[in-house]
Amino acid sequence: MSARELQHLDYLNENELMEMDTFIHRIDSTEVIYQPRRKRAKLIGKYLMGDLLGEGSYGKVKEMLDSETLCRRAVKILKKKKLRRIPNGEANVKKEIQLLRRLQHKNVIQLVDVLYNEEKQKIYPHQMLDSVSEKRFPVFQAHGYFCQLIDGLEYLHSQGIVHKDIKPGNLLLTTDGSLKISDLGVAEALHPFAEDDTCRTSQGSPAFQPPEIANGLDTFSGFKVDIWSAGVTLYNITTSLYPFEGDNIYKLFENIGKGDYTIPEECGPLLSDLLRGMLEYDPAKRFSIQNIRQHNWVRKKHPPSEPPVPIPASAECRDPWRSMTVVPYLEDLHGYTEDDDDDELYDGEDEIIYTQDFTVPGQVVEEELHQGSTDPSLAVAKPVCVNGTEGGSLNSKTKAERRSSSSSNPSRKGLSTASKIRKLSTCKQQ
Amino acid sequence: MPLFGKPHKSPADIVKTLKENLAILVKHDKKADKASDEVSKCLVSMKEILYGSNDKEPHTETVAQLAQELYNSGLLISLVENLQVIDFEGKKDVCQIFNNILRRQIGTRCPTVEYFCSHQEVLFILLKGYETPQVALNCGIMLRECIRHEPLAKIVLHSDDFHNFFGYVEMSTFDIASDAFATFKDLLTRHKVLVAEYLGQNYDAVFADYEKLLHSDNYVTKRQSLKLLGELLLDRNNFTVMTRYISKPENLKLMMNLLRDKSPNIQFEAFHVFKVFVANPNKTQPIVDILLKNQTKLIDFLNNFQNDRSDDEQFNDEKTYLIKQIRDLKKPTS
Repeated sequence: MSARELQHLDYLNENELMEMDTFIHRIDSTEVIYQPRRKRAKLIGKYLMGDLLGEGSYGKVKEMLDSETLCRRAVKILKKKKLRRIPNGEANVKKEIQLLRRLQHKNVIQLVDVLYNEEKQKIYPHQMLDSVSEKRFPVFQAHGYFCQLIDGLEYLHSQGIVHKDIKPGNLLLTTDGSLKISDLGVAEALHPFAEDDTCRTSQGSPAFQPPEIANGLDTFSGFKVDIWSAGVTLYNITTSLYPFEGDNIYKLFENIGKGDYTIPEECGPLLSDLLRGMLEYDPAKRFSIQNIRQHNWVRKKHPPSEPPVPIPASAECRDPWRSMTVVPYLEDLHGYTEDDDDDELYDGEDEIIYTQDFTVPGQVVEEELHQGSTDPSLAVAKPVCVNGTEGGSLNSKTKAERRSSSSSNPSRKGLSTASKIRKLSTCKQQ
Repeated sequence: MPLFGKPHKSPADIVKTLKENLAILVKHDKKADKASDEVSKCLVSMKEILYGSNDKEPHTETVAQLAQELYNSGLLISLVENLQVIDFEGKKDVCQIFNNILRRQIGTRCPTVEYFCSHQEVLFILLKGYETPQVALNCGIMLRECIRHEPLAKIVLHSDDFHNFFGYVEMSTFDIASDAFATFKDLLTRHKVLVAEYLGQNYDAVFADYEKLLHSDNYVTKRQSLKLLGELLLDRNNFTVMTRYISKPENLKLMMNLLRDKSPNIQFEAFHVFKVFVANPNKTQPIVDILLKNQTKLIDFLNNFQNDRSDDEQFNDEKTYLIKQIRDLKKPTS
């Protein structure tokens, strides 16, 4: 894999890296996945590459670790070769970077950095995590995501941006359950002095397009397109179905153009009413963000009736906890050899692996330095802990415990950095 | 007295005891110490009912009873009213109790919001709290929780007392002034449609006061209010307010002066408002006149404006665009 990967990296065009929240999760020791393969460390600038998170038509998304701040990031790697095959590929990427730079909202993906590799190739970074996948969520969970979608959408619209491609696949979830609208590749920024939100073009996903686009109207209200797509999204995440289907795009557009659809009975009267408001044929009568906010389904408190659907396990190592994947690479970087490793290590480590404390990433560095780190860049990382104010103090205790346990028990000396860092998973950084 | 399993008091009892002891505290008589202890204890047990304790989840029915008692006895409001006589920890407990009760929902109803709508005085007691340093920050926390709810935000925004904010954000105590600014900003940005309507209706009064903030001697006030002004004007919901603002020559003059402020940060924020005047395709004649009169000076100025921001692509693009716009301005052929 490493050889092939290096080859890929030669084509590296653009990667994107965005703010990422990480949370430590309770891990059963049997679930700690042992990785027999040796992974080669690859540093790009100050970022250490981790495992693959996902793949799209443009290229790959991988996890990365910022070696200065120790923040987990995700990077979107765009290959020029692949981009050329997508209509408007390169132009859309440029536009997306430009748009993302000026946006800042808790429910919109944040661009952290754009890197260009030597042969004029670009990298720019992303958030980790997962699309809201194509399955049905319990009502309370769908409600939570939908409200965040509306918050993010209201922000985009207030900034004069029409997203044009709202769909579950473009909504990312962080491990702490917040939703981020992503992929502004086909979004349109309205002219700041445009009187209204009239748009002329659309390149969004067919199943999420409103009738005015399916019928090929020349101009249409941009914001109302997003409302419709958000409506199809809500329909999809609450029922796992689509309001409109078709064997091919022509059939699909024909069905959307007619505007006939049914809402499953199980949705109940409130949700059905909201869906009908958002999937209103006439854009002028279709709900506005304000109407949605004031709708009783949105205002209602939905009690958790069934267990929430968890974020799917990561693709490559099937880790349901989404632990950091850069650890083996870190080990490689710092000359850790597997001879010391021992399967039994993980037993007896329960009290540490089970810890849910937020910890100060700076301490990871300390541990590493003890192991003979040679990379000075890691040492400059600032200790950071957000999310839990008590993080620091709780953590010093865990650290002390670990110190004592590792010194008192020589068999644990070879404890891999992997398990250490899994314990010390970083918190969200400013 | 048994060490364990002390029977829990009912919500009605707690409310009653708390009310009595609060009254003693307010009177400042001899028994105040004992009353203060009682108040603290009651607040702790209320908090336990609302938030649950270590192993117990809050019990919905008890919570409902407590809320009902708090409304009926008027205690929720008198706690806020007499916050300054409660001790330090107690003040924090009151905040937590208040915010929890406020967030309570029954289906689509928010009973506390409805209760406050018919007892609006509580909002103004909270607002007045900014004038009493001992309770200012606690009141700020509760007030911000209130204005998350549109009906309550509307009451505050449309009241005469809203204008007090312009004083509060300039107070000499830094933490209170910043807290007040946070609330002020929430009020002006959280409910976009409501705010756009309000600003449209009260344009003159609000912007007359707002201008004073931009002239403030206090660096923080000046910088924050300038930044907020930029955000408000560039929010599409406030489109008509924006067009109105950028049609007035005195606003342009103010921004041009701020562009030359001694602080680069203020200059930078001013730039983001200034650009709106220049980018406007339908500039009013007075605006064009000012820009024309200063055409060469402005171009020179912008060419040398904050050149150290070379890595900020967007800023540089905007600067180039503005220079081009100003250069292309034509004198009316007379």
